Amino acid sequence: MKVLIIEDHQELARNIHDYLAREGYICELSSTFSEAREKIGLFQYDCILLDISLPDGNGINLLDTIRSEHSQSNVLIISAKNALDDKIIGLEKGADDYITKPFHLAELHARIRAVYRRKNLGGANIIQFNEISLNTDTFEVKIGETILDTTRKEFDLLLYFVVNKNRVLSRQSIAAHLWGDYTDNLANFDFVYQHVKNLRKKISNAGGTDYISTVYGLGYKFNSHKHGEE
Amino acid sequence: MTLTNKFTLWYFAVMLLVLLIGGAIVYNEIQWKIGKVEVVRHQRLNDLIAAQIRSGGDYSNHPTRKRATVSEIPVDSVPKGVASYYTRGPGWNAEFQANEYKLVVTSFYAINGKHYRVTTYSFIPSFYQLLPGVVDSFKWILILLLILVGISGRLISKYILAPFKRTIKVIQSFDLKQKKAIRLPETRTTEFRELNEFLKRMTDKALEDYRLLKEFAENASHELQTPTAIIRGKLELLMESEIRDDQAILIAEMQNALERLSRIHSSLTLLTKLENYAFEAKTPVDFSQLTREILDAFDELIQMKSLKLETRIEEHIYLPLHASLADLLLSNLVSNAIRHNIPGGMIRVTLDKTGLVISNTGREPEVPTDELFERFKKGNPGSDSIGIGLAIVRQICELNNFNITYGYAAGLHTLSISFTSKLLQNLTLPLQSRLQP
Repeated sequence: MKVLIIEDHQELARNIHDYLAREGYICELSSTFSEAREKIGLFQYDCILLDISLPDGNGINLLDTIRSEHSQSNVLIISAKNALDDKIIGLEKGADDYITKPFHLAELHARIRAVYRRKNLGGANIIQFNEISLNTDTFEVKIGETILDTTRKEFDLLLYFVVNKNRVLSRQSIAAHLWGDYTDNLANFDFVYQHVKNLRKKISNAGGTDYISTVYGLGYKFNSHKHGEE
Repeated sequence: MTLTNKFTLWYFAVMLLVLLIGGAIVYNEIQWKIGKVEVVRHQRLNDLIAAQIRSGGDYSNHPTRKRATVSEIPVDSVPKGVASYYTRGPGWNAEFQANEYKLVVTSFYAINGKHYRVTTYSFIPSFYQLLPGVVDSFKWILILLLILVGISGRLISKYILAPFKRTIKVIQSFDLKQKKAIRLPETRTTEFRELNEFLKRMTDKALEDYRLLKEFAENASHELQTPTAIIRGKLELLMESEIRDDQAILIAEMQNALERLSRIHSSLTLLTKLENYAFEAKTPVDFSQLTREILDAFDELIQMKSLKLETRIEEHIYLPLHASLADLLLSNLVSNAIRHNIPGGMIRVTLDKTGLVISNTGREPEVPTDELFERFKKGNPGSDSIGIGLAIVRQICELNNFNITYGYAAGLHTLSISFTSKLLQNLTLPLQSRLQP
């Protein structure tokens, strides 16, 4: 997947770049409005990450250019301002999603994948990883042929793991992903532990491989190299 | 007491004093004048009688002698240097058979070498006869003045104080947060002009200070966002490298602190935005529906703490509230009720037309309860919360003219919000009639 990161803060852009590069994405950076417009005019991207506040222009204005030249590109707006208006205008102008700084990189990645799935893979709503398959339409999890009885939260959690496989996911990042704004006032992450525990138990009971492991002190990781016999 | 009334009362007091003194003066003047005129008349009469004596005829039955006594006196009885004197005082009026005020004028004449004393008298109006008249007339003057001053005081003060009243009105409606400079009415009264100038200077200064403060807060919060995002990203990348367990703990602690920082930050940004009235309700929200949704969202947390949830939610409560504010208000309240609860405790949510009441079991607050709505005040200093949730709740309530109160009794924390704003009442009426045709 080819990604254009339009972000004026170099360090932030490098973070995104580093994270996505490990997924094998081809990332390009541009830090100004004019540079971004030039790149959009010349090349084709699968996904464009667009920071709204650029030094030489409002990122919202780039949306028109993007939409007229590349109808296929997914656009994800990155905004420092948690302003509702930006969100509404951005989505109206054809952005596919919206994420507010400061965000977790895993969250950004999950959003990119979700947008990509929605637009590029047509009717294919099944995400397959080894014996696990997730249906994003029916929120159904199958281990082989066994349908797993999961809650919506557990489905989201598993999807988050699969998308960010082989990554260490912090408890904060998981909480933010599952509960969004509602984590704001909840300081303890016991419930993350609870959900992960339940999910692992359900997968194991259905005969699946327990890919999820605890990373000491930090959080959890979905290990794609793990095998059933371990 | 209004300024007008005060002025009027003082004016009345002064008037009363002046009238009393004036009455005394008038009374004395009249008394004196009447006496004086009578004395002159009697002196003329005495002179006339003297002339009659000089002419030598018999005038004893003449009308002039009716109240006159003429007697010849020896020369040594004539007082030196005095041609005439008078006395006054109560005397018996035989004609009217009454005690009256008697004026006696005595004059001395030397006629043809003989000395005569001529005395005439008459009865004049006395002190007691004059007084009621004087008092009466002054009473009427006083009443007339009272009425006139009362009426004119009101009318004139209305006219004179009009600029002042307008100034007061402008000042009362002045609100720092609306960021609008005040416009005071023109006036020719020096004092009011000075007052207006002072007020204008003061409010302009306040506005400027407020703007600077807000700008600082906004800039600070905006500029904080990017570094926070960068640090968070770096830590996440660092997490994936080969690290030892002790390093992992360090990273986790950093992440916790960062999480806190970003939460404080977003709450402060939100508060700033609330203060700027950045949220305007476009359509009323179904508060009943929303309350149920929020409670659903928190369901697993409620269960995790084994809390008992009791709800009594009336249907179709519509509030003129921005949807995300309503969401924020409810989620802050509910998560507070969960967080400050005790394991196995209880939460009770009651929603009806008059308001929303959320009660929960919990430990006794350790700080004065009226401080709980302040930023960074926590009922329990040991807790992990950042202490800004209730400040946000209060801000939202203030913004919508809701009344919020907190109480603690018998192990139960109770937060009540009453939807008493006029706006709401105006709004619910047409809505209800639409819903129940």
